[in-house]
Amino acid sequence: MNYRPYMLLAELTYRCPLHCPYCSNPVAFPGGRELSTAEWRRVAGEASRLGVLQAGFSGGEPLQRADLPELVGAFRAAGLYTNLITSAVGLTRKRAEELRDAGLDNIQISFQSDEEALANGIAGTAAHQTKLRAARMVRDLGFPLTVNVVLHRGNIARVAEIISLAENLGAERLELANTQYYGWAFQNRAALLPTRAQIARAAQIVGEQQNLLLGKMKILFVTPDYYSDRPKPCMNGWGARFLTVNPVGDVLPCPTASSIKDLRFDNVREHPLAWIWSESEAFNRFRGTAWMPLPCAECPQREIDFGGCRCQAALIAGDPTVTDPACSLSPYRGKLTTFVESIQSAGETDPFFGAENSNISFRQNPGV
Amino acid sequence: MNAQSRPALARGVRLWIDPITGGPVLLFPEGVLPLDDTTHDIVSRCSGQATVEGIVTSLAEEYEADCAILLNDVCECLAELREEMLITLSP
Repeated sequence: MNYRPYMLLAELTYRCPLHCPYCSNPVAFPGGRELSTAEWRRVAGEASRLGVLQAGFSGGEPLQRADLPELVGAFRAAGLYTNLITSAVGLTRKRAEELRDAGLDNIQISFQSDEEALANGIAGTAAHQTKLRAARMVRDLGFPLTVNVVLHRGNIARVAEIISLAENLGAERLELANTQYYGWAFQNRAALLPTRAQIARAAQIVGEQQNLLLGKMKILFVTPDYYSDRPKPCMNGWGARFLTVNPVGDVLPCPTASSIKDLRFDNVREHPLAWIWSESEAFNRFRGTAWMPLPCAECPQREIDFGGCRCQAALIAGDPTVTDPACSLSPYRGKLTTFVESIQSAGETDPFFGAENSNISFRQNPGV
Repeated sequence: MNAQSRPALARGVRLWIDPITGGPVLLFPEGVLPLDDTTHDIVSRCSGQATVEGIVTSLAEEYEADCAILLNDVCECLAELREEMLITLSP
């Protein structure tokens, strides 16, 4: 295995106008100043020399950064493919033109559902119409478009209508991303996890539409690992292909790695990216297979799923060094199964997304 | 897809040289696909102008190979790329 990063996720800010209860940001934001324009420009050069080929601009909401076009331009000039991962709130025609002129390669817009009231309820703000207008506008400007919809119990029954929405917008790609249960989503998982039957129905509809829309729109759909026997090959291996630089400059092997309490992250203000990638404690901690305990250490799947997800091991088993509890061979699988079965008996009533629902915590901004 | 289809790189897909390996890759949203020599020869001919038939003829000359066998390989390769929305076909 060679360890060479293809993709850098640039989390530009934690500020966001949306409050989605499955946000992948940390529940407790790290302190510190956001990286400056000059610091991000330096990161772009370091990433390019390290062999990174892709930059994703995320957050929070990356459009909250006034210097976004300049940052896109810096990564593009360094030769990287650039993808804006956005809620589209703040994406005016003028800003989209600036981004186009900066060389932005692709725009990914999140939708919470196809249905306005539900979508706004999930986002915790009235953003749906803004998103529709922005998606049509970026198509007018000739941008390639990815539509991303995070699926959960509140919207998975609408998967057919969601596919129609993305098709009508002319998207090249639709990511039907089943919620991953970390951070905010982990806190809200009793309200968010779909039932087994809901997943099966959605998978069937997606399969039919993937065939019908072949060559027109690519639909990505991955079953949530809570319903799987084998863990997901998280990040294609720890420190193998991917790195995240968070708003304050910490460099993480995956966007949710800060949920592992005893892991210390190095910062681009103190070390070059290449050193962090090859030498830092965080990137080497779970690299390769030497760290693996049983049953992973002797498992024929160990170079396929890499022991699964370290964050999930930390969250469910309380120990990031054990086999991912999503694996049926994990001694902790029972904890996941007990939770999953409690959802089946809860029935399929949609969670109520609204301020009155005290069972759901909506994502807050730093300092709020 | 038929012999008269005109394949082109899909919107948002970039044919690029990997500066580390020196080899060709396709870059697309959240993806990197390293290309082997044959796939690169096919993809670099997907101009939106050339037909599948034209691409096969051009490759047959370069490889000194039989058109009928090549047609099958080229169609298989294009079908896989199309499934991933890396190329589109017109008409």
